Amino acid sequence: MLRFLLRRLMIAVPTLLLIATLAFGLLHATPGGPFDTAKRMPAAIQRSIEAKYHLNEPLWRQYLRYLGDLLQGDLGPSFQYRNTSVNELIKVGLPVDVEIGSLALGLAVLLGGSLGLSAAIRHNTRWDTVAMFLGQVGVSVPVFVVAPLLILVFAVELNWLPSGDWRYGEVRYLVLPVIALGLPYVAYIARLTRGAALEVLSSSFIRTARAKGLPLSTVILRHALRPVLMPLVSFLGPAFAGVLTGSIIVESVFGLPGIGRYFLTGAVNRDYTLVVGITVLYGGLIIGFNLLADLCYVWIDPRVRLDS
Amino acid sequence: MLGWLLSGAAGLAACGGDSPAGPRAQPLAVGTALAADQTVTRALQSAPRTLDPTLSTDVYGQEVIDDLFEGLTTIGPDGGLVPGVATSWETSADGRTWTFHLRPEARWSNGDPVTAADFLYAWRRQVDPKTGSEYAQALAPIVGAMDIATGHAPVESLGVSAPDPHTLRVSLVSPTPYLLALVADNYLQPLHRATLDEFGDDWSRPEHMVSNGPFMLKEFIIGDRITLEKNPRYWAAATVHATRVVYYPLDSVIQISRYMAGDIQISDIFPSDQFQWLKSQLGDQVHTGPYLGIQQIVFNMIDGPFAHDRNIRQALTMAVDRRVLADKVRQGVQEPAFTLVPPLVDYHQPIPAWANWSDVRRHAEARRLYAAAGYSPQKPLRVQLLYSTDPQNRDLYDAVAAMWRTTLGAEVEPYNEEFRVYLQDAALHKAVLLQTLWIGDFPDPFTFLQLFQSGFEQNFGGLSDQRFDALLAAAANEPDNERRYRLFEQAETRLNDEADNIPLLYFTSRHLIKPYLKGWHLNLLDRMPSRYLYVLEHQGR
Repeated sequence: MLRFLLRRLMIAVPTLLLIATLAFGLLHATPGGPFDTAKRMPAAIQRSIEAKYHLNEPLWRQYLRYLGDLLQGDLGPSFQYRNTSVNELIKVGLPVDVEIGSLALGLAVLLGGSLGLSAAIRHNTRWDTVAMFLGQVGVSVPVFVVAPLLILVFAVELNWLPSGDWRYGEVRYLVLPVIALGLPYVAYIARLTRGAALEVLSSSFIRTARAKGLPLSTVILRHALRPVLMPLVSFLGPAFAGVLTGSIIVESVFGLPGIGRYFLTGAVNRDYTLVVGITVLYGGLIIGFNLLADLCYVWIDPRVRLDS
Repeated sequence: MLGWLLSGAAGLAACGGDSPAGPRAQPLAVGTALAADQTVTRALQSAPRTLDPTLSTDVYGQEVIDDLFEGLTTIGPDGGLVPGVATSWETSADGRTWTFHLRPEARWSNGDPVTAADFLYAWRRQVDPKTGSEYAQALAPIVGAMDIATGHAPVESLGVSAPDPHTLRVSLVSPTPYLLALVADNYLQPLHRATLDEFGDDWSRPEHMVSNGPFMLKEFIIGDRITLEKNPRYWAAATVHATRVVYYPLDSVIQISRYMAGDIQISDIFPSDQFQWLKSQLGDQVHTGPYLGIQQIVFNMIDGPFAHDRNIRQALTMAVDRRVLADKVRQGVQEPAFTLVPPLVDYHQPIPAWANWSDVRRHAEARRLYAAAGYSPQKPLRVQLLYSTDPQNRDLYDAVAAMWRTTLGAEVEPYNEEFRVYLQDAALHKAVLLQTLWIGDFPDPFTFLQLFQSGFEQNFGGLSDQRFDALLAAAANEPDNERRYRLFEQAETRLNDEADNIPLLYFTSRHLIKPYLKGWHLNLLDRMPSRYLYVLEHQGR
């Protein structure tokens, strides 16, 4: 187990380095710089600003400087938001995304999981058809349709909930973004669970359990649930990394100060450090959650050995 | 507007002694029932990059900084200029030295008096290359500013002095009638030196900021909101009704749903293609007015088919049906532009005669010029038109290209580039036809005409016309504003005679405003300071 962790960690470091390098290189290769604005400044002023941000140095030097800072956990100053560091922006944005993202995925697992499981149990019944139809709709209707619709119904027409904004600890600001973000996942997880459950429920160890006369609920909870979770876990690893680094659309529609929105405006404004910083964070989270998923396999499936 | 501004300013200077006028809201009518909660909620199209008045360059920052800081002059209730920290000022006979007298009762939010040294400090910081300000050229009219900004002279050489705490003297390179408008902008607002010395670049954070305007910064969450609270130490605090102001940076489409849900009381802008729908839904809550900006196409005057051929330039500009663009493509939100400078008080726009011709006659003349330039159905003009990526721009330029195709048979292909790429290519004169947007800094023809001055950074077409430059130079040295305006009119006429650009549309300000929010006044600069706003008692959202 320890060897496994160590090995993964050793792969993670060069991977992150590669991600940082690629992001850095691509961004600097994009035409237009962070200080090209509609009001162009005299060359001397432009030079003085570039010197302030070390943009006048050769690229390799900027790169080494960036890597040096990165190794110390410093993602550098934002070019777009003056006198604000990328670390600060992430410190503001990440908790928002963590809260909304984990609630949305939690909701998706609970709702989608039970929907999928019950559809599998009542395979080929009307319930199954309806559940899967809803699942199909959920997967197909994009967030940029769902989110404004939610606002239109619950904020504009009914006036039950705010149409956006963010206040720490106030539930009413959470409801709509969580639903909008979670809905496609509910649908996806429902379909995933149903597929896995169908396969597991028709396998011989379940038939044996049922033949022994165990009640259906026991069979499912004791024997079927764990193997059903396998594909879910591999899906949820990257999905978590995805929602934690923010949904650009949900954040924009609800006006949330999340990382996704920073990432988008950062890319538009050539905010080099902000975009590279968030990309590295995303890469780190993906690696971390995949590792977590692998560890979960061991717990779920006794046949899995990590050290082999 | 400038003429009004100057006469108003002179009047104020004359009566400066007894009761200095200032940015007071109009007295409320007797019986006006104010809501108990005087929180004003507003939208911004985008989050300001910073709230440091020296460093801010975007209009969003300007809007918030208008609430936080106050310059020598400031925006009045109707959008014109009124005295701010200065109560009066005099100009020397040659128009090159201005003396401002500061009001002794002006205070910083921590109670310190606002003095001339605070302005001196802020202005020097603006031009100091070490500061890294992106718009140090805002101070270009002041003696020494550009030499300092380009690193050729020490900061102390800036032509500004503070002979006593309540007097500020400014030396100018040339008479600058729009100085009164400049000093209202964020670039020239005063700064509290002790705070900057103590906190360095962090001084503009909510926990440190000391400001001298009607509001204080309470909270700034990038991507979510900016919260201001009333500054009780502001010298005219008694006239400010709003106790809290919250700004939300939101995309223009999202602003509409926020507004309809009652979560913002005044929106910043809406897309023109929503205009008719909004009017049908919200009726008289939809407000539009002229805004000091223009959308135009400039020709590449360095090389390519337009550089040395007036006929083809004239043919293209005449073949554009601007009224169709304004009424159909822009749904009537925007005004057609036949000449560069938008309507300004006391300025006579040199609108070309063909603007009032019938379509038939105009099109015929355009075709004649097109043929005279050597183009024909067998040998049509084939060029590309560069614009910055935006779905509404696409509609507009597709329409323009269609007009050129049907009227002239020209094959113009519009293509777009993401904004930063577009800016770079514009600066490198890569396109032969280029869309440009320009918003004036102050209501003066110069802010637009400089776009075609040789050597100006934003002269994207690369035009270099000695006669035009000479007229602008003459205007720059003309202390009399009326004569100055006549020179600008001649310069603009020259531009039109040579068909050096294709003006398309003037900008409009577009707001949704709740019926219970009062104290606002649409204006040319689209600046509506929160200090004049108040909320009436109301039911519902």
